[in-house]
Amino acid sequence: MLYINDMSKRYGSFTAVNHLSLHIPEGDLFGFVGPNGAGKTTTIRIVCGLLRASEGSVRIGGTTAAVGSKEMKRLIGYVPDFFGVYDNLKVREYMDMYGSMYGMYSRDIAKLTDDLLELVNLTDKKEVYVDTLSRGMKQRLCVARALLHNPRLLILDEPNSGLDPRARVEMKELLKNLHSMGKTIVISSHILSELSEMCNSIGIMNHGQLVTAGLIEDIMQQLAGGSRIHIRIVSEVEPAVRILKEQANVTVESVRENELIITHRGTDSEISALIGYLIQNQVVLTDFHREEGNLESLFMQLTGGAQ
Amino acid sequence: MKIRLNPIVKKDLQVTVRSMRMSWGLFAYEAALTIAFLVALAFIQDAASYSYSDNIYSYLIYLFPVVAVAQVCIVALYVPIITASSISGEKERQTFDIMLTTCMSPFAIVFGKVISAVLRIIFFVIASTPIMALSFVVGGLSWSYLFYYLLAVILFSVFAGSIGIFASAFCRKSVAALLLSFVIYFVIFVLTFVPPIYRSVFAGGGYGESAGESMLPLLWNPVVFFEEFFSQMMTGNSIMATLRDSLDRDEVGILTYVLARGKVWMFTSAGCILLLSFLFMALAAWKVNPMHAGSGRRRGKKKVD
Repeated sequence: MLYINDMSKRYGSFTAVNHLSLHIPEGDLFGFVGPNGAGKTTTIRIVCGLLRASEGSVRIGGTTAAVGSKEMKRLIGYVPDFFGVYDNLKVREYMDMYGSMYGMYSRDIAKLTDDLLELVNLTDKKEVYVDTLSRGMKQRLCVARALLHNPRLLILDEPNSGLDPRARVEMKELLKNLHSMGKTIVISSHILSELSEMCNSIGIMNHGQLVTAGLIEDIMQQLAGGSRIHIRIVSEVEPAVRILKEQANVTVESVRENELIITHRGTDSEISALIGYLIQNQVVLTDFHREEGNLESLFMQLTGGAQ
Repeated sequence: MKIRLNPIVKKDLQVTVRSMRMSWGLFAYEAALTIAFLVALAFIQDAASYSYSDNIYSYLIYLFPVVAVAQVCIVALYVPIITASSISGEKERQTFDIMLTTCMSPFAIVFGKVISAVLRIIFFVIASTPIMALSFVVGGLSWSYLFYYLLAVILFSVFAGSIGIFASAFCRKSVAALLLSFVIYFVIFVLTFVPPIYRSVFAGGGYGESAGESMLPLLWNPVVFFEEFFSQMMTGNSIMATLRDSLDRDEVGILTYVLARGKVWMFTSAGCILLLSFLFMALAAWKVNPMHAGSGRRRGKKKVD
């Protein structure tokens, strides 16, 4: 869906983005993570046509249109980290204005506005002045505005910054909902716990470079050198440990009273074969699960603790 | 075929007409014109009382230039105030980036801003028509002149608006943009007089010499345009043509000689002012376009995240 190829952005001698190459597949909910000054916002602004890259290219879908062209702009819905609103403008008029900016007719905008306000749970605010809305409502309205022209790619820069916990939950639900509808979404955020709950893939940036990108589980597995698996046993632990140590792709990490933690460097089918083998050898298991990835520890590991 | 109103114009008008500032602005505008009218009337009556003629109406024709000049001065001050904050205001409000991500071209955004300022001025001018009409009724000028005058004010508001938008595009803060607008005013309104004055006083060899082709920068000066416009309206004569007729062709310079004939100077000047307005708008659009080389340098410095 989004292809960034060898993109750099320099301001004099300072390099904000350094030879970034990235591919985000269609339908992904991609989290862009990185410490302050990593180059996330610069990357997003280049993709949205708000900045010119010093070198490299950006392509969306199958188009060959240039960044900043009308064709490209129609494919992107952009929600900035902070945006102001106009005094004396109602929610309906706000949507109408931006719809018109995409060349849509007022009648079509009115119909879409009803649907989108329902999606972002602002139906009852249609005739309310925009500047009287709460921060969370404004943010959801901005998402509705970004969806007006039905973009293929929705880009949100720090969508949860400045929101209270309730508004964050509402925003998270909204984005999950949009993802389930098949939208490709890119979110830049510092709130890693929320990203790990929402996103299926991430890209970690540091000092203008992409440190890693891909599915969260794959990155975790790569870094840990395999899957960390917790095994709870009710029979004797020693036979189980002996069997596990005999396996070439298994490392026993820790042994407690009736719980083992192992690292498995094999495929899912090899893991299921291991479960079968343990059971065959009279090891009675009550639990066998893969450890959930912790994005924060992964982030700290990859960026050397910088945030 | 549906005619689409520029979304910026629509939004600006919606936002403006709902604000108290518009009502107070209109009140102040009408009040200033009324005061100008009454003061001019008082002076004219006073002047007429000292003259040999009992016919005050021959003096009332001067009501028109006084009120018209007052109106043009208000427009000259008010339009940059509106437009100088239009783009820098959007930047300060952080709504400009969203605008740039839509399908509107930077020129359409800039043009929309200028047009919304011009429309606001048209509201004001139309609202002040009864006061202006008084000076026409008692001053004995034709109604068609009122129409020409309206066109001249629209031309001038486009010009003033384009200067304001140009300054707004180049400055981050509205106050700085307003200051830059008045600096540009100074250059166009005052400094364009420098070449002809220098030529006729210092370089020409003495008092009374023709300024020759050094008069040409005055084509872009709205002060000269309005001077010529009012002269044409009230006397039917061109100041430039009078100047031309008093000197021979070689002294005046060929271009100035050709342009200073009948209404040629006035229409050429109107064209030059309109052209300069579009140049300012095009430069503003170039500046706000994130895709042109060197743009975003300052924006980028603001946040590299």
